[in-house]
Amino acid sequence: MDDYLVGVLSNIGIISFVALSAYVLLLAGEVSFGQQAFFAIGAYAAGMASAMLRWPLAPALCLGALIGAVAAVAVGRATLRLTGLYFSMATLAFAEMVRIAFEIFTLQVDIGGSRVGPNGPDGFGDIRYLFENEITSIQYLCAIYVLLAMVLAGFFMLERSRAGRMLRQAGTDAVLAELQGVRVVRVRLIAAAAAGALAGLGGGLYAHLLTYVEPGNFNIMLGVHSLAYGLIGGLGTAFGPVLGVLIDIGLLESSRLFAGYRMIVFGGLVAVLLIVRPRGLLDERAVHRISTYVKGLFDALAARRLDRSLRRR
Amino acid sequence: MIDLIQNTLDGVMIGSSYALLALGFTLIFGTMRRLNLAYGPTIMAGAYLGTYASLRLGIGALPVALLVIVGAALVGLYVERLCFRPFGEGAVMASMISSFAVWMQIEEAATLAMPRHLNAFPPLITSAPIALGPYFFRADHLLMLIVAAVVAGLVYLALYHTRFGLGVRTVIDHRRAAELVGVPTERIMMLAFVLASSIGGIAGFLIAAGDGQITPMFGMWATTKGLIAMMLGGLGSVPGALLGGLALGVIETHAQSLFGPQVRDLIAWGLLFAVLTFWPGGLLGTRRIARAAAVQRRM
Repeated sequence: MDDYLVGVLSNIGIISFVALSAYVLLLAGEVSFGQQAFFAIGAYAAGMASAMLRWPLAPALCLGALIGAVAAVAVGRATLRLTGLYFSMATLAFAEMVRIAFEIFTLQVDIGGSRVGPNGPDGFGDIRYLFENEITSIQYLCAIYVLLAMVLAGFFMLERSRAGRMLRQAGTDAVLAELQGVRVVRVRLIAAAAAGALAGLGGGLYAHLLTYVEPGNFNIMLGVHSLAYGLIGGLGTAFGPVLGVLIDIGLLESSRLFAGYRMIVFGGLVAVLLIVRPRGLLDERAVHRISTYVKGLFDALAARRLDRSLRRR
Repeated sequence: MIDLIQNTLDGVMIGSSYALLALGFTLIFGTMRRLNLAYGPTIMAGAYLGTYASLRLGIGALPVALLVIVGAALVGLYVERLCFRPFGEGAVMASMISSFAVWMQIEEAATLAMPRHLNAFPPLITSAPIALGPYFFRADHLLMLIVAAVVAGLVYLALYHTRFGLGVRTVIDHRRAAELVGVPTERIMMLAFVLASSIGGIAGFLIAAGDGQITPMFGMWATTKGLIAMMLGGLGSVPGALLGGLALGVIETHAQSLFGPQVRDLIAWGLLFAVLTFWPGGLLGTRRIARAAAVQRRM
């Protein structure tokens, strides 16, 4: 594979984490404009752990996810009582505060004769773990997709569990869910924690891939894009947000098909798509239809096998 | 002391443009119950049209102003048709994301039309600041304040003394009930949307003429400033939007002179966060929310 393709695929994998993070909260019925904040926090935390404290990659990534989750719970405690636009605005305000805080935040240490660490608006460079340990970009790409596959498997199990049903219930009709004994605010808080961890993990991966991050990477554009991915790809399954990322980054940004006019085409496409399918391509109905079809295939297969074994007797 | 008063006066004048932005936002949110993220970019499209025409045709300030307003109104109509009209009341998210998609479209179209990052915008008044005792007033800022006051007055008259305004207020109160008593809700909402976009155009012209320049970042700037001012004042409240805009202007000017531009933005967002978490109704919205909650309880 050439380097360009590897870069694009890595990017798609990493942005999928933020998109999934926004998707979890969408399922819980809250529209967050602020998941980029936890992405940023994860990026800085994991980067600082590996570049300044010389931690290995895995614990550094875990630290990023953990701090993302803790920050999300702290913010969620204050904001999850709010609903609708109030919640969206509160998360946006928080995310912008985080971004500006990173513009001010400077903390550098001396490592091997050079200053390493976040340096305000100049960003945070020299997160060189991958170079120092001779991890190739293909190996890193595999690591990203293994993690993403694990997350998607987690979603797959969640959707079939009681917890997953409670999550969707809280998102579809909070009052009804409450009446049926679902503690909506608690479910949402757990969802927010999971979303924070996902974004934090993605941020850690992002920082190590680029070796350099700056506060401007984590502005409102990233937040609204990650929301849009879920809505384009579909809210019926966790593959929806990934599909959304694939369409935007994979198809439009990378193919240079509409060079210069990309956003005009993409914007119009999204607007028209949402008119036809307000809950995305893979919405609940489509997912249901596909899963019934697949189930039907398996049933037919099983019936044929049974038939054959009966005939043999 | 003189600095304090001078900063407050400057803040009120800057805030009057925020107030206009918030006024347009609140009109759209009040009638639609949905957020128009493309509001700032709509205004930017108008402003780009104005500066394009002034560079190509060399027209004066007043025709430019007219072009900006008409341009913003037309783009607003496009946004309404594409992102709001096709959806029912329920699809809050779809409208929002769709308006974001249109934002991307407008931004790219603007940069394609004028590829330079910084474009000169014809200034309105270039005379020296007016001195009044120890205080100075920029003439274009004074004009901004006056225009904002006039526009707010006209909007008030339109809302409370015309049939159209009655329609808008019924839609804001209860869209379905309004439909049932025969209010042409679709048309009222469209007109309110276009009106709001034109108000945004007025604000955009005054701001761009005051700065003497326009960049592709203007869309995001206008959307965020209008949103903060609207939420500070109280969602969907017209006097709240005006008050929120003025408050934001005054606070920002003081914060900037004390701590610089980074901390200014930090304080503006921090204030919004605090208001939302502790006092979600905003400055003037609390009574309305309390009333709605009481109605909910009784039902």
